[in-house]
Amino acid sequence: MALTDLFTKDVQELENEGILFSSLEKLVAWGRSNSLWPATFGLACCAIEMMQSTNSRNDLARFGSEVFRASPRQADVMIVAGRLSKKMAPIMKRVYDQMPDPKWVISMGACASSGGMFNNYAIVQNVDSVVPVDIYVPGCPPRPEALVYAVMQLQKKVRGEAFDERGIELPMVEGWAR
Amino acid sequence: MTIKEAGTVSSSVQGHGDFETKYMRVNVGPQHPSTHGVLRLVVDLDGERIANLIPQIGYLHTGFEKTMENRTYQQGVTYTNRMDYLHGFAHDFAYCVSVEKLLDAQVPIRAQRVRVILNELNRIASHLVFFATGLLDMGALTLYFYTMREREKILDIFEMVCGVRMNYGYFRIGGLSRDVPEGFEDAVRAFIKDFPPMIKQYAAMFAKNDIFLQRTRDVGVVTQEMALDYGLTGPSLRATGLGLDFRKTQPYSSYEDYSFDVPTATEGDIHARFMVRFEEMGESLKIVEQALNRLEPGPYKDPDRRISLPPRSELENSMEAVIFHFKLVTEGFHPPRGEVYVPTESARGELGYYIVSDGGSMPYRVKVRIPSLMNLQSLAPACIGGLFADMVMNIASFDPVLGDVDK
Amino acid sequence: MSLLEQVVEHLKTLEGKPGEFKAMVSVTVPKDHLLEAIESSKDAGFNMISDVFGLDYLSYPGHQGKRFSVAYNLYSIEANERIFIRVNLDEGETLPTITHLWSGANFMEREVYDMFGVVFDDHPDLRKLITPEDLDGHPHRKDFPLGETPTLFNDGRFLDPAAFRAGLRGDSEGLTGFVGGARKGVASQQKPEGGKA
Repeated sequence: MALTDLFTKDVQELENEGILFSSLEKLVAWGRSNSLWPATFGLACCAIEMMQSTNSRNDLARFGSEVFRASPRQADVMIVAGRLSKKMAPIMKRVYDQMPDPKWVISMGACASSGGMFNNYAIVQNVDSVVPVDIYVPGCPPRPEALVYAVMQLQKKVRGEAFDERGIELPMVEGWAR
Repeated sequence: MTIKEAGTVSSSVQGHGDFETKYMRVNVGPQHPSTHGVLRLVVDLDGERIANLIPQIGYLHTGFEKTMENRTYQQGVTYTNRMDYLHGFAHDFAYCVSVEKLLDAQVPIRAQRVRVILNELNRIASHLVFFATGLLDMGALTLYFYTMREREKILDIFEMVCGVRMNYGYFRIGGLSRDVPEGFEDAVRAFIKDFPPMIKQYAAMFAKNDIFLQRTRDVGVVTQEMALDYGLTGPSLRATGLGLDFRKTQPYSSYEDYSFDVPTATEGDIHARFMVRFEEMGESLKIVEQALNRLEPGPYKDPDRRISLPPRSELENSMEAVIFHFKLVTEGFHPPRGEVYVPTESARGELGYYIVSDGGSMPYRVKVRIPSLMNLQSLAPACIGGLFADMVMNIASFDPVLGDVDK
Repeated sequence: MSLLEQVVEHLKTLEGKPGEFKAMVSVTVPKDHLLEAIESSKDAGFNMISDVFGLDYLSYPGHQGKRFSVAYNLYSIEANERIFIRVNLDEGETLPTITHLWSGANFMEREVYDMFGVVFDDHPDLRKLITPEDLDGHPHRKDFPLGETPTLFNDGRFLDPAAFRAGLRGDSEGLTGFVGGARKGVASQQKPEGGKA
């Protein structure tokens, strides 16, 4: 195919020949969504289910998220897995700040999302009061399938295919704005 | 925490010649992939050697004890298993046994056997995670996928019984929340049949591996005297040659009916701690098999209406049952005044609930004797003088669960 | 005579007051004899320290005497017996450390210090163990609030968990509207025999 075809032929014709059109923004987002590397931030029970989500049965690697990075500087998404104590909260904020933009947060489990059953002096009642959360996963602990689903939802959000509760399309790379 | 607070050891040593060298202070954790949770260690290094090590804990402090003092006795079962999320049934078990002692409740034999089966299966599951993460710390990733495969099978049985994979809440004071479902026995039998070849498979993968042996033998030695000095219990104590197992010495809940060995080793090093746990899996399987063979149909909870809810069928035609149901649900039961403690054996060591009752429907004070916390103290003597690289293996070999440590 | 009986007899000579509840033996010793009592028990054979923990009797119904108790849970491996040595103390009183007898008492005493504010003299490293550095107070004291966040419902109504729960205790109506009270044949409502264990 000659380069001139791009200008002379119809878009529909080109797509039939296997050439796809996209904006660079969308292309980057597509690539980014399929390699969301989580930072290891296992805190409590949910961390065990987070481990299980990478095992041979659930295989989070199918969605490009199996590479748990020990260093937050190499990670895209922080999975807050478990109850966050008030002693740990500053450390979590620090880990989050060390992650490069764009970055996302999954709040895994009831304790991280709302304090769960631990409504007391020691536990932060919502992780959202420390770091901005993109996806909440309910459950105590959520099944590995639920976490896999959360990662898939996050991929949608990264690609700009997600909507907020009022039906308004969410911006594609919200992470830049932070 | 400031540096000055952390250590009591003098921070300078006399170097060669006229130089005065200082220990290098390294912070490990609390967010670190190989500390098995949010454990923080402050380590003083003399070159590659560890001169001093201080664990800093509390990063997962959840206030379990305080919260349980504000819940009824029956609600407490929901909290106990979230402490040690790898061996949750042990905590439920210990709590129920303690409260039942306070109440003089009669747990039916079927409930006791089911409890033992689930507890021992959970012990196997806990040890499987121990091997997965322990060898992962050494760089052996492969075993992780194999042990986790079998753990999923155990979790399937738990899911069948309780409806959840972790954090069960299945035991009740006086028995079980409901009877085991149909097909439970077949599922456990299938697991008993499948698992022994898998143990051999694991052994083939690491037991004779040269790297494993070199990194674990004579590393992190804890002698028997040190273990007693530091209050070490569980498999880590048995690795020093002392066969203390509360399932044997103070049997609770029909453990006296089953014949099993208490595996011990004499070396007290990391290798011994690995091997004791490895053999324990086989012994647990033996207990499961014996308990399953003796499992007979019967009631699954204490028939005493003051403790356990009346069956659903009675609620429709018995006013008395409705009254008891209402009282139990709104208020709970009132154990007599007193203080009880029953030691049990968890996958990590001696676990017991010290419960103080003031005659009300909530415990006045709950104190958990946490095995992981006491075992963590032995980490410092095991590590000091050794290489920094072996510290990670030492942490793994004591198998601490940080939810358990911090409560 | 078993080891436990021997030790209890010996502790009686140190002004110890033994008590038994459901086959659990505890001996309350005066503060001055605590170290001696624990040392002699260790020499007699209670060679494993299982636990050291605090108790706060501030709101215990009918409790008289000193506010706090610290209990030492000792176990003898050879004799397979367990003894609880207890000591009562008030706010501001200190206890001698036993870290020279067992190194394992280190964390336990730090926990008691952290949770109850009981100071152990000569402890090598008496710092907070579990709670954050900036937390004021000692959480397991009975006058430390649980610190619950009131639950906000969709209709804008707040539900205070403590008020909801008050009915369970039986000391007030709470939100359940139930005022506790004795039930026929429930042993706990009768007068306790022999006091606390």
